[in-house]
Amino acid sequence: MSRAQREAKGTEQKQPQPRSVARTLRELVSRLGPVIALFLLCAYLAVASPHFLRTGNLINITRQSAITTILAIGQTLVILSAGIDLSVGAIAAISASAAAVLMTQRIRILGLAIGPVNFVVGLLVAVAVGAAAGAFNGLIITRGRIPDFIATLGSLTILRGIALLITGGLPVPSHITATELKGYLPEQMIWMGAGSILGIPAAGLIAVAIVLLGWLLIRYTVLGRAILAVGGNREAARVSGIGINKTKIAVYLLSGLMAAVAGCVLAGRLNSANALMADEENLRSIAAVVIGGTNLFGGEGGVIGSLIGALIMGVLGNGLNLLNVSAFWQRIVHGMVIILVVIFDQWRRRRFSPVT
Amino acid sequence: MKTLLRMVQVDKSFPGVHALDHVDFELREGEVHVLLGENGAGKSTLMKILSGSLESDAGQIFIEGRQVSHLNPESAKELGIGMVYQELSLVPALTVAENIFLGKLPRSPLGLVDWPRMQAQAEKSLADLGVSIAPRKQVRELEVAEQQLTEIARVLSAQPKIVLLDEPTSALSDAERERLFDAIRRMSERGVGIVYISHRLAEVPLIGQRVTVLRDGRVIGTLPVEEADERTLVDMMVGRRLTEQYPKHPSQPGRRLLKIENLSVEGRLRKISLELHEGEILAIFGLMGAGQPELTRAIFGLEPISSGRMCIADEEVHIHSPADAIRHSLGLLTRDRRHSLVPALPVPPNVTLANLSQLRLHQGLRLRTEAERAAQYVDSLRIQPPSLDRPVMFLSGGNQQKVVLARWLFSEAKVLIFDEPTRGIDVGAKAEVFALMSRLIRSRVGIIMVSSEMPEILAVADRIMVMRDGEITKEFRAAEATQELLLRSAS
Repeated sequence: MSRAQREAKGTEQKQPQPRSVARTLRELVSRLGPVIALFLLCAYLAVASPHFLRTGNLINITRQSAITTILAIGQTLVILSAGIDLSVGAIAAISASAAAVLMTQRIRILGLAIGPVNFVVGLLVAVAVGAAAGAFNGLIITRGRIPDFIATLGSLTILRGIALLITGGLPVPSHITATELKGYLPEQMIWMGAGSILGIPAAGLIAVAIVLLGWLLIRYTVLGRAILAVGGNREAARVSGIGINKTKIAVYLLSGLMAAVAGCVLAGRLNSANALMADEENLRSIAAVVIGGTNLFGGEGGVIGSLIGALIMGVLGNGLNLLNVSAFWQRIVHGMVIILVVIFDQWRRRRFSPVT
Repeated sequence: MKTLLRMVQVDKSFPGVHALDHVDFELREGEVHVLLGENGAGKSTLMKILSGSLESDAGQIFIEGRQVSHLNPESAKELGIGMVYQELSLVPALTVAENIFLGKLPRSPLGLVDWPRMQAQAEKSLADLGVSIAPRKQVRELEVAEQQLTEIARVLSAQPKIVLLDEPTSALSDAERERLFDAIRRMSERGVGIVYISHRLAEVPLIGQRVTVLRDGRVIGTLPVEEADERTLVDMMVGRRLTEQYPKHPSQPGRRLLKIENLSVEGRLRKISLELHEGEILAIFGLMGAGQPELTRAIFGLEPISSGRMCIADEEVHIHSPADAIRHSLGLLTRDRRHSLVPALPVPPNVTLANLSQLRLHQGLRLRTEAERAAQYVDSLRIQPPSLDRPVMFLSGGNQQKVVLARWLFSEAKVLIFDEPTRGIDVGAKAEVFALMSRLIRSRVGIIMVSSEMPEILAVADRIMVMRDGEITKEFRAAEATQELLLRSAS
């Protein structure tokens, strides 16, 4: 076969298969489902409440959603690798608490007096604590060979306990330490949660940066590909020589690291850290990931979906507040949304997957 | 003879595939009707519609003359349709008897499980099949063939009028297959209609009365077996004449690639020694349980080795993981394609997966090169459909096999281990696999082929080693081996 012939054959072969317009449209709708849902939700709230589209409210939504988003990106990596991290809220709390204690107080560790440290050191401590906690999760899952669910459930409780120990069960800085000892959190920490650049909340910018990093990681790095392989078919990853344990440890480490960032943003927003904060964020982050279309059993999905999912959670909560729905009802609505989304998602997968 | 089942103009589409194109099918009382077709021809889809696990888009189904609609697994069972799945669907931790009566355990008057009756009935249904399996044994302790027979016993215990068998012999040895055929004959004598799905042409005259060939979702024809010689059937299945089913390769073994000395795996393999040269196909034959899968796994670092030495290109190597094996240019085509592919990912990442193991996690991917190389393989291996962004789960079995092969071509493996390369793929794809093996041989690769198909081994291999109980019992040159000799040294 001459080269020209071969090329002609190649182009002929590469032609896309004919598909019906209706089917393409259906697939698109099911793929874009989260975006459409978010849009409809916003449209409804814009009509139903005069406050919804006000700048102040939108900024508020951004700040609220930012924390869920940052956690959800770490959670996305974990879920893509067919794991689940129930400890992200606890890691956020312990990282922020450890940083807050060091940034506001003078403490003694093994006879050495340390602190109060500046913002950069504090942030590094938070990130280090988060990464260590995440790596711990990864290690007990891979070395201890226990299910991800149980491992992170256990470490969640351990981490909350340690956080209570280092904070003494009080907010840091508490009202007393703040007024008497003038031990405030550093300005930059507050800025992370409550500041803004050109009117855009800093928390939102941090979240967007993390989303971008997550996207790049999944698409362009060996780790990202390994995550998809391990989550998509563990056995295939194994026979292809992919280091499953290494991948899982890296994933949990990154999840812990992102949880630490989220913890710092939250502490900045609250002006203090405490051992029990972010306790609803585990479920919210998992919900955001699943609403965003990532398969709860691994291998399929991505961070952009999780961003949309986190926004849906944020807008929903905000909307329910604006519509004066009681906090008790809000919990019921949140839970129902999660269940309905997973039902829809499972239906979609059955519908659009091949026979065998 | 009474018509048990008639399917008229049954149609089914999936995204991108017209799986069944207005199919007509008929089954008579006491008949064994073989359904032949390449992978992706629509056999399994047709059976899934009949057993109620899939709904057809259009068409009618008549059972004993009455039209039925909206079949689901329960209603299909009530109508007397029993399906034996290709993948075993037994619960490993339960006993044989419990599995046979799963979902319909016999009850005592108090509503509790009537264990003695269950054991007795299980024993009877196994005896009806002509097999001796202890009903109290846990399914996980059974051999694959015994599991398959248990599965069949389970389906038969519901006293179906129509039995669907989906490639029941794919896991069986020749002797076990005979047992199964006996059981099938006994069923058909009782008037049960049997649809027997297969892609083994040789089985057609052994068991069937009529044969229907499917291709690309269409019925190509239905013939009585007397008129269905192998040649005709192959033509019908592939739509083109295959000049050679097993293309011969002119082999000139060269340098030694691999040398294994006294390799042992605790409790599985004892002192295996073998050599493999460039441009050579070494076949490993054995009955089920002789240790062939363990051997491939041990060579590839998937099974811890208790003792032994391994040299690649005359240098001693230590392989503790697949990543080590890949670094030393070994490649493994797993017995089950599903153990090799990541179904949700498209062709390019599946092709480069093994090479990924030689990189560090923080390194970047070269997506453009990856796409280019994958496109080359799609073209040269004729992977259909030639799409780079369609998840591989949408490809047919033979095409998936080619994707796995492309992976090892891309990793430039020198020693390729093919574990049952033709298992579960059809005649056309088989011929392509053998053609590819010849091509690999010409490019100085060495191939270890584990297979239980004697005709294939005899046609393709340069040397044949026979295994029994985790040991190599005999080695033959291709010219001196016969089916009889192989079987005798294997059992």
